[in-house]
Amino acid sequence: MDLENQRRIKELAEKHGAENLVVVLGGAEAEAAGLAAETVTAGDPTYAGPLAGVQLGLGVYHIFELKDKVDEAVYEEQVSMMEMVLDVDAIIQEVSSIREQYSQFKD
Amino acid sequence: MSDKKLRVVHYLNQFYGGIGGEDKADVPPSEREGVVGPGMALKAALGNNGEVVATVICGDSYFNENIDEASKAVIEMISKHNPDVVVAGPAFNAGRYGVACGAVAKAISDELGIPVVSGMYPENPGVDMYRKFAYVVETGNSAADMRKAIPQIAKLVVKLGRGEEMGTPAEEGYMERGVRKNVFHDERGSKRAVDMLVKKLAGEQFTTEYPMPVFDRVTPNPAVADVSKIKIALVTSGGIVPDKNPDRIESSSASKYGKYDISGVNDLTDDTFETAHGGYDPVYANLDADRVLPVDVLREMEQQGKIGELHRYYYATVGNGTSVANAAKFAKAIAAELVADGVQAVILTST
Repeated sequence: MDLENQRRIKELAEKHGAENLVVVLGGAEAEAAGLAAETVTAGDPTYAGPLAGVQLGLGVYHIFELKDKVDEAVYEEQVSMMEMVLDVDAIIQEVSSIREQYSQFKD
Repeated sequence: MSDKKLRVVHYLNQFYGGIGGEDKADVPPSEREGVVGPGMALKAALGNNGEVVATVICGDSYFNENIDEASKAVIEMISKHNPDVVVAGPAFNAGRYGVACGAVAKAISDELGIPVVSGMYPENPGVDMYRKFAYVVETGNSAADMRKAIPQIAKLVVKLGRGEEMGTPAEEGYMERGVRKNVFHDERGSKRAVDMLVKKLAGEQFTTEYPMPVFDRVTPNPAVADVSKIKIALVTSGGIVPDKNPDRIESSSASKYGKYDISGVNDLTDDTFETAHGGYDPVYANLDADRVLPVDVLREMEQQGKIGELHRYYYATVGNGTSVANAAKFAKAIAAELVADGVQAVILTST
């Protein structure tokens, strides 16, 4: 995850409290989405950014996991196209596995 | 073989040192107490075996553009902490960072005789340039591999720091350093050779004791029968670019090439062309770029009818530290355009 986004998320967590923050990812590929999920839970795995060694433990989901919670028309317009071309199962598997391991706020 | 806590100093670039990205790549060396960035993971992996006492950080561009001064400053900062082992990187596939880690390793081993451990992707130019001077753990090509790389590095740090015997590259997971060591073998050479031959003939797996270097041999095309009839293009890895290097081709580890129009140009002068190359003394190329890219001579030959035509465009990149994979990629793209433009022969100049 790029350094600027790490800094923003860290600041938001400090301002609002980690328990009040949920990160929604849109990564198009399982490994990248997994790395982003890891960054906001267990800390930056590349140890390069502001979240290196910082375990925010945030709740983190990929947008594909939140299909039921999003307005159907909006989902249809914004996400459904990508849902058809991406490996949805692999992405969900990766993000949910990271969440199970490191997130402290799972609901 | 004491079990004291090893003292480790860690070398990082500006990015992993938390200073910033490419816009901060020109920062000079600085030092911090304790760990920074990936040092946190190193510290955890070393546990009670060692302590990262200090971290030295230098911008990649600064290091590569001032390699002698920067090495000297970095060595001074590192040596005053009396490390048992120095860790540089890991640099993954970051070319300039890999070269900096390698140069630090060379300076440390030349001047202080302290072992250095690093981590790089096999294609990082730092591997080929400096493999002799460090134990370089093989990593993936991006920082996503940090989690796997750091424990490997820590393992070698402890071995080297404790003076334990180092196994072969295959056993320990570092890249070959070109070091040969005499060992006694249970079986004599002739028997081992015949055993290998038998396995080879039977189509079975065997491991050679003397791996051959892999050279990428390019078979030359047949000679052109009559060059007075054809269009010839110039391509160079010597970094000749129009004044002020409009495409910002990097002075080392080039990530791109340039295509430049030389229609109407009969002579490259010091006002109009220069070299972007950072790997040789640029003075003579800047004074007269024809020394690297002989446009003047080819124009004469064109006028005399010795060659058919000089192609309107020439292509240039910087060969300095540029990975073979990148160079091959550039060549594929350039060759496709040259063929499409009806060029029948290329003069490739280097430095």
